[in-house]
Amino acid sequence: MVIQENMTVQRKLEILSDAAKYDVACTSSGVDRKGNGTSMGNSLACGICHSFSADGRCISLLKVLYTNECTYDCKYCINRSSNDIVRTSFTPAEISDLTMEFYRRNYIEGLFLSSGILISPNHTMELMIEALRLLREVHRFNGYIHCKAIPGADPVLIEMLGWYTDRLSVNLELPTAESLRDLAPHKSRKSILRPIRQIQLGRQNHRESLGLPDFGQKPLLTTSEADQDIREIITSGSTSVLTPFSKKKEKRFFVPAGQSTQMIIGATPESDYQIMSVAESLYQNFDLKRVFYSAFMNVNQDIRLPSTQAGPPLLREHRLYQADFLLRFYGFHTKELLDEKRPNFNVLLDPKCDWALRHLEVFPVEINRADHLTLLRVPGIGTNSAQRIIMARKSAVLDFADLKRMGIVLKRAVYFITCKGRMMYPIHIEEDFITRQLVALKDQPIPGIERDITYRQLSLFDDVNFKTEFRTISKIAGM
Amino acid sequence: METKHIYLCDNSIDGIFTAIYLAWSSRYGHANIKIEEKSEGSKYANIELFSEYIAVDTDLELAFKVSASIKSKISEEAFEMSCRVALSDYLGKADLIYRFLILGFSIGRSIMEHMSNEVVNQFLRVNKNVSREAYHFIEFIRFSEQENKLLTAVIHPKSNVITLITPHFEDRFPQERFLIYDADRQLATFHVPGNPWILAHVPEIDQEGMDKISFVEDDYRDLWKIFFQNIVIKERINPKLQRGNLPLRFRKDMTEFKSK
Repeated sequence: MVIQENMTVQRKLEILSDAAKYDVACTSSGVDRKGNGTSMGNSLACGICHSFSADGRCISLLKVLYTNECTYDCKYCINRSSNDIVRTSFTPAEISDLTMEFYRRNYIEGLFLSSGILISPNHTMELMIEALRLLREVHRFNGYIHCKAIPGADPVLIEMLGWYTDRLSVNLELPTAESLRDLAPHKSRKSILRPIRQIQLGRQNHRESLGLPDFGQKPLLTTSEADQDIREIITSGSTSVLTPFSKKKEKRFFVPAGQSTQMIIGATPESDYQIMSVAESLYQNFDLKRVFYSAFMNVNQDIRLPSTQAGPPLLREHRLYQADFLLRFYGFHTKELLDEKRPNFNVLLDPKCDWALRHLEVFPVEINRADHLTLLRVPGIGTNSAQRIIMARKSAVLDFADLKRMGIVLKRAVYFITCKGRMMYPIHIEEDFITRQLVALKDQPIPGIERDITYRQLSLFDDVNFKTEFRTISKIAGM
Repeated sequence: METKHIYLCDNSIDGIFTAIYLAWSSRYGHANIKIEEKSEGSKYANIELFSEYIAVDTDLELAFKVSASIKSKISEEAFEMSCRVALSDYLGKADLIYRFLILGFSIGRSIMEHMSNEVVNQFLRVNKNVSREAYHFIEFIRFSEQENKLLTAVIHPKSNVITLITPHFEDRFPQERFLIYDADRQLATFHVPGNPWILAHVPEIDQEGMDKISFVEDDYRDLWKIFFQNIVIKERINPKLQRGNLPLRFRKDMTEFKSK
């Protein structure tokens, strides 16, 4: 391992931002905090993107690792201990100076700090906490901080981190315990779930002690979907050791923007159904704000892992995000979208269209009468459109011209709705016909992957487990 | 046919509100009235035949009366939206606000729900465009540090959003002196710690003064560019997506897209 002393900040930033780029979450959302008139910074609940990099991803936070030295040897990770790469670490002062100066120039919304494991989880966490302490207490930084909690660190350190950050996250890495054992031998699923549970309870306790209602609180009963590990963690006694923040003068919340997690997609043979079930039980049992999915890239060219020569499985990632939004904002359940018999998403249709085509008995829906949840289930109608329809129909009976004027996209919806009891065109409500029409739609390309779809090379080892179903193929063939 | 009366007013919130007051109290009938704002920059409107042009001198008192009655008879929200529409670059915005207010004063605060109405719909759309552009400038504006620690930023917005974005930075940087300059309209906002921010017309900016950056400024610009280049995942490069999220027109004022 090469550790170079006296490296310039430029070189360090080069190495440590390059090493951090595979972390997905870069949102600065979830907390509304006005400036306090004396120190620098505020925060908006909707989040602010300050730039977009060449891969089209948003840059909102200064995303860096504290160090890329690591004692772990996770097979999928660029920073694993068996890789021969240049290693370096920031100092707490370097991180806080960079953050402050970038923030003043409106380059960033705050800091995203993750890290490799230097010596031990506890040692690493102490260094990270020192960097955040400098920011919050010396520079009096009032902007957004997202930090990765390191599994296996002492609960007291995780709690300290929680008082300094807006959002904490612990990476789940892989959907199942078996995959984790195979690919990340130094991590165990329970050591990952334990801090997640601790942060969840800490947030609840803190809100309770302030007398605030807990909007996110879900019944602590586990669903039958939850796997063995989740059930064990949930039912084991409370692990939160929350102590009131020592400095009473400063009003600070414990992890005000909640926690998120991230899973690698396509490195292991789990089906979409398994992945979505895990995500759903995380949302239900741990009160997570987001689950992020990251298309696997074989950065180490490890022969034990699937090859990503044809590009990372971006379409699969996209479908998972679509389904994730259906779970969080549209009132869908994983069981409605997928089941054991059809465990993967349709390549050609988004999950909502796919669901609608299998449930044509509920369509067409009358725009002027359907309730909110029914409107949300119509393909092509999103949360905004549904809200607009409900608002507009208070004062007028809507027809298709009105919908168009209100900016509601009818391309997909037209097969599933009526206005004043009539459809827009005489449409034969029949599964094969509508499927053909929807598949033939050449609308806006799926963000991030249109490049792959137009001239994609056929590959034997395409997206793992992600095949076009025979039924759909025969439908297109009949087009 | 009745002659059309066209009120020609200043291109400002106060100018438009004054014209609305005069038009309303003229009793020519709403159908015979049109309000036109004086054009901004290179955009112009044709002069209409068979109509009478009436020049409007901005009168703050009349404008204030209009804004007070929007707040009390419709809603605070409608007032804010009217202001945003008045700041937009939409041709015919003055008449749009006038048509919206005619409806608003008769229907009241529930006017926002009449989204299928053409006037309301257009009004909401222009309002949304302006808010969205203001939000983009909150995201993409870049400050540079001058030798005297003053933070400066130059922007070229389509709509006149400078007054909409300055409060955000006043809240964010209470202890900083900063200056935001709209180079197309020659407007500047300026903030000094402890004082409310001010808006001023600056016909000639001291370009040399603006270029006197502090000696650490170049370092941080370079560091930011290094970060910007290293955060890219090569396998996922997608300029089309980047362009969709960050249109080219913003880039000329952004540090990371400027070559030295």
